[in-house]
Amino acid sequence: MLSGKIKRLVTIGSVSALLMCSAAKAELASLSDNELSSVDGAGIGMVFEDFVFNAVTDASNGQSFKISGIKSTKGEDVDITVSQLYIANAGSNYGETLNPVNLGRLVNPYEIELLDGNDIGLDDKAILQFAAPKKIAAGTGYDCVSASAVEGSGACSSRPAGTDAASGEVIIGERPDLGLKLQVQVGANAPDSLSINAKSAVFDGSYLRLWGDDSKNQLVGEYRLNFYTPELSISSCDASGQSCGNTIYMKNFELELVLGNQFQPMSIGVTEAQDGSIQPGNFVFEIASIKDYADQKGYMANLPSNGLRSGCNGNTSCESAWDFFNGYYTNPDFKSNLRIGAMHIGDISGSGQNFGSAKIEGMTIQYLKMSSHDL
Amino acid sequence: MLKNIKIRINVLLLSLLPLSFTAVAELSSINDEEMSVISGQAGVYLSGEITLNENGGPIKNAYFGDCTDDKRCGARIAFQTKQNGGWFVLDDMKGSFSFQGLTLRVRDINSGFGGDGAKFNSQVLEIGLPDQIKVDKFQYTYATSSTARPSDAGFQQTDIYTVEIDGDITMQGNLLVFPTGNN
Repeated sequence: MLSGKIKRLVTIGSVSALLMCSAAKAELASLSDNELSSVDGAGIGMVFEDFVFNAVTDASNGQSFKISGIKSTKGEDVDITVSQLYIANAGSNYGETLNPVNLGRLVNPYEIELLDGNDIGLDDKAILQFAAPKKIAAGTGYDCVSASAVEGSGACSSRPAGTDAASGEVIIGERPDLGLKLQVQVGANAPDSLSINAKSAVFDGSYLRLWGDDSKNQLVGEYRLNFYTPELSISSCDASGQSCGNTIYMKNFELELVLGNQFQPMSIGVTEAQDGSIQPGNFVFEIASIKDYADQKGYMANLPSNGLRSGCNGNTSCESAWDFFNGYYTNPDFKSNLRIGAMHIGDISGSGQNFGSAKIEGMTIQYLKMSSHDL
Repeated sequence: MLKNIKIRINVLLLSLLPLSFTAVAELSSINDEEMSVISGQAGVYLSGEITLNENGGPIKNAYFGDCTDDKRCGARIAFQTKQNGGWFVLDDMKGSFSFQGLTLRVRDINSGFGGDGAKFNSQVLEIGLPDQIKVDKFQYTYATSSTARPSDAGFQQTDIYTVEIDGDITMQGNLLVFPTGNN
């Protein structure tokens, strides 16, 4: 009896061992030199599937989210309570209905990757990049702003909710509603509430690149923020949220902010005094001067006197200086844009005021230094 | 070919025999049907609690204490963005997080995602977020400082703001992590 059992067990064991061997064999295949050369550990893709984030302050439930330690100019404490911070699918009705959303697409995810600096104009540097989904060729993606964009209408990869035409599958949407509601109390004054909401937000094409600068011995970077929303609203109410002032609505809001580039990296540090000693308590944010870079490369000394390329009279160092500045001023990647389709104050559909559209386009930062100071 | 297999089975028989004698009481046979549904892809379900310096850290000096006096008892992280420059500090970090139902598994995606699943057709590491994270009096202070440690010479620090979180935070969904090619 026992021996029969053992026999059966052993047979099953050995057969399963054999099966495992053959299965493993089928999974493996050798890589050719050609295939191997293209393998590299470029990055990690991340997609949030069916994602909802919500942090609230609700005293009755023992929930709180506070920021304190800030003082007003009169020395009164400023207490900020985060009433709500949410990320949910479009159609949330300003954070009331939190439905799941996807952030990033499997075919174009959020990424953490290491870039070869030689590919992006930063010679012999390894660059750490945090990137939102990339933009795609114009006309192959979705309009960045419209919450009802269809395929082929723009360059953004993130899609609004709908149905995929090719597969017929439901798209739950990759454009979240975002909101932050704050309650601000200064000293013993009655608290005010401030609420900022963005509908169907798109961040495609945004990235943060970080690397080390040898001459400054400092961490420097390049930041590009693309932020598109069909409606960005800001409102202020009393603490209960009942008595509200007029809401400012910005329709079809497009921000393309560029801070720093490969010639003018941005840096952030703790303030130093004139003598180089550290004065803590304040920070300094700087975008390097393009003139410094051009000086260093010898471009400034070689510019044609009349500003025209023909004024170089064939001098190659003069022509390369002219070409550098021409490239710098014409490259759209170095320019910041802000477009507001329409600004409404008050009731957006009825009696509110429409202040029309506003645009700031093609802004180039040649040098920027901001430092904070105590009052 | 058949001969080869036979030989292999015999070798396996010999090697498995001593093992099966000791294990026999625990084992029972499974049939082909039962075997066919077995695969090694079960994930991990995690619940846990992370508490940071609830009763102070190991260092006790003029600056750090044990949470009963007016000294700081939380953890301190200082980072510098410039050589010989000032320090950004996350100071007095303390409190706890607890969660239930963080899951980890490998998932094969070849459909869904509004048509992206079929194009992707690959495996991802799925981190199932725990739905609710209970935060118990978590706080930190953001500051800038002249030195990394409060015990260093010439230490000066300015606290900029303090964040305090208490209660439940909703975090639903799955985080899918996968390698991406160089594009």
